[in-house]
Amino acid sequence: MLYAATNIPYPSWLNPADNTWQLVAATLVGLMSLPGIAVLYGGLVRKKWIVNTMLMVFAGFSLTLVVWMLWGYNMAFGPISHFGPTGSFWSGFIGHFTPLATATSEQGQAVSGANTLIPFHFPTATLAYFQFVFAAITPLLFLGGLVGRLKFKAWLLIVPLWITMIYCVNACLLWGGGFFAQKGAVDYSGGYVIHLSAGVAAFVGAAILGPRRWQDRENAFPSNLMMVAVGAGILWLGWNGFNGGDPFYAGADAASAVLNTNVATAVGVLTWLCMDMFFSRQKKPTFLGAINGMLCGLVAITPSAGWVDGTGAIFVGLISASLVWVAWNYLSKVRPFSKVDDALGVVYTHGFAGLIGGLLVGFLADPAMTEYGVKGAHFKGVGGFDVQGWFYGHSFHQLWEQMIAAAWIICWTAFGTALIFYLVKFLLGGLREPDDVLAIGDIAIHEEEAFPDPTFGESLETPSHTHVDNI
Amino acid sequence: MKLVTAVVKPFKLDEVKVAVQGVGVTGMTVTPARGFGRTGGHIEIYRGKEYEFDFIDKIRIEIACTDEQVEEVLDAIVKAARTGVVGDGKVWVLDVERVVRVRTNERGPEAL
Repeated sequence: MLYAATNIPYPSWLNPADNTWQLVAATLVGLMSLPGIAVLYGGLVRKKWIVNTMLMVFAGFSLTLVVWMLWGYNMAFGPISHFGPTGSFWSGFIGHFTPLATATSEQGQAVSGANTLIPFHFPTATLAYFQFVFAAITPLLFLGGLVGRLKFKAWLLIVPLWITMIYCVNACLLWGGGFFAQKGAVDYSGGYVIHLSAGVAAFVGAAILGPRRWQDRENAFPSNLMMVAVGAGILWLGWNGFNGGDPFYAGADAASAVLNTNVATAVGVLTWLCMDMFFSRQKKPTFLGAINGMLCGLVAITPSAGWVDGTGAIFVGLISASLVWVAWNYLSKVRPFSKVDDALGVVYTHGFAGLIGGLLVGFLADPAMTEYGVKGAHFKGVGGFDVQGWFYGHSFHQLWEQMIAAAWIICWTAFGTALIFYLVKFLLGGLREPDDVLAIGDIAIHEEEAFPDPTFGESLETPSHTHVDNI
Repeated sequence: MKLVTAVVKPFKLDEVKVAVQGVGVTGMTVTPARGFGRTGGHIEIYRGKEYEFDFIDKIRIEIACTDEQVEEVLDAIVKAARTGVVGDGKVWVLDVERVVRVRTNERGPEAL
């Protein structure tokens, strides 16, 4: 016992419980991408697009991590570069463009621009990996708007550019202690930085990319609903790490964020189900409808998971799923939404749901709900802070901050995405695969298919392991 | 010799099998098939959008039998596969010129 007490194999600032939870939470969020998004989107696309979609997910995840190590993490969460006078927008715009690849930068105590007084109890490597899995899922989400016609090479360029120009900037501004964080806008786990931004990018990207072949749109039935169930289930439970990891301490705020996330999601599922059963043209409960409702709940509770109480979480699920249901069924028939082929509807379940959730913070945030440990320039009190919505404080201040931040996210993401897509289009001489390739799909692009079905029989030729080419 | 081909509703397969065994048929070949007839297709709804599925699932059954067995086999199939609802399927009969059993090289009705 004495030996254990006096020879702890890590520095005194490190708390094993916090470090463990943070790594587990990060892994849960990583699972949401691999295999979560891979099989969810693979199940939602036509059979001939499964391989292409899944490979883009795995490639995007890998690209983001390399960018993150080389410059992304420090741009978003490292010390802030003060380009302008203190307090101005440009002084809190972006961090330093430096890699994260030395022993001290990985094993030293984590520090973040937003967290200057109360130290993290885990190393930078933990924080960097946790923040990476959030960055990684964002382009994978907006991929849903682009599947079924985007050139593979274009995707390999879009991801690093988008992470650098859009994700890192938005993350720094809202989370890294940047301008909007200093102003008081909050985004608990990425309703804005991730979901609203992904929704906008999917919409703008799809508009520039152009629609899928009309034959593919007509026959856009999903390839496998069981795989959708697997992916959606991993997303839901993975979200425990998404929202439960963002307090950065394994405390009561983490626990309440997990519970709120789950209840909002359950209400989202049931709300969409009821809307389908009573208000849809066919009056049928549908599985894929329920999954949309699940996404609405998950996405909308993301900006508010730790700021609302249980009642607030129920309202978040109810309001987001019903509004997005209306948008999905009616707004989608109105310009410009009817004109843009957002293949999997990312602008609805992520864009609108993220926006609604972010604005609801301004109404529903309960000041009795405290987030511990995080402290920055604008936070009052020591060791914890809270957010006050209109229902509690009778002030529209928080809502106003949320609206300003949302407006920034929408404009910057739309502008940046357009710039990146036109740049890649110019570099590659086009963003789309040619129509004869699109007609075939996976086999034409990768010479692979999701369910290989060769003509079976036994080879009459020389066994391949003794073949001259293989020796 | 005759080849009897029946296209029937999938859930009727086992009833047809038992019925034709009852009249002395010793083998049949079954293939999942899709087709349209007077029933037309059906609608499926995915993510709020309706898709027309023009071809519906059927089972195609092929039975080779002797000339004398044909009427009994036809009756057995029709009786077993019939629900009375549109879409019960079709049965048709073709002449078979030759039959060979691969294992023994027997020819003609003995090969059946």
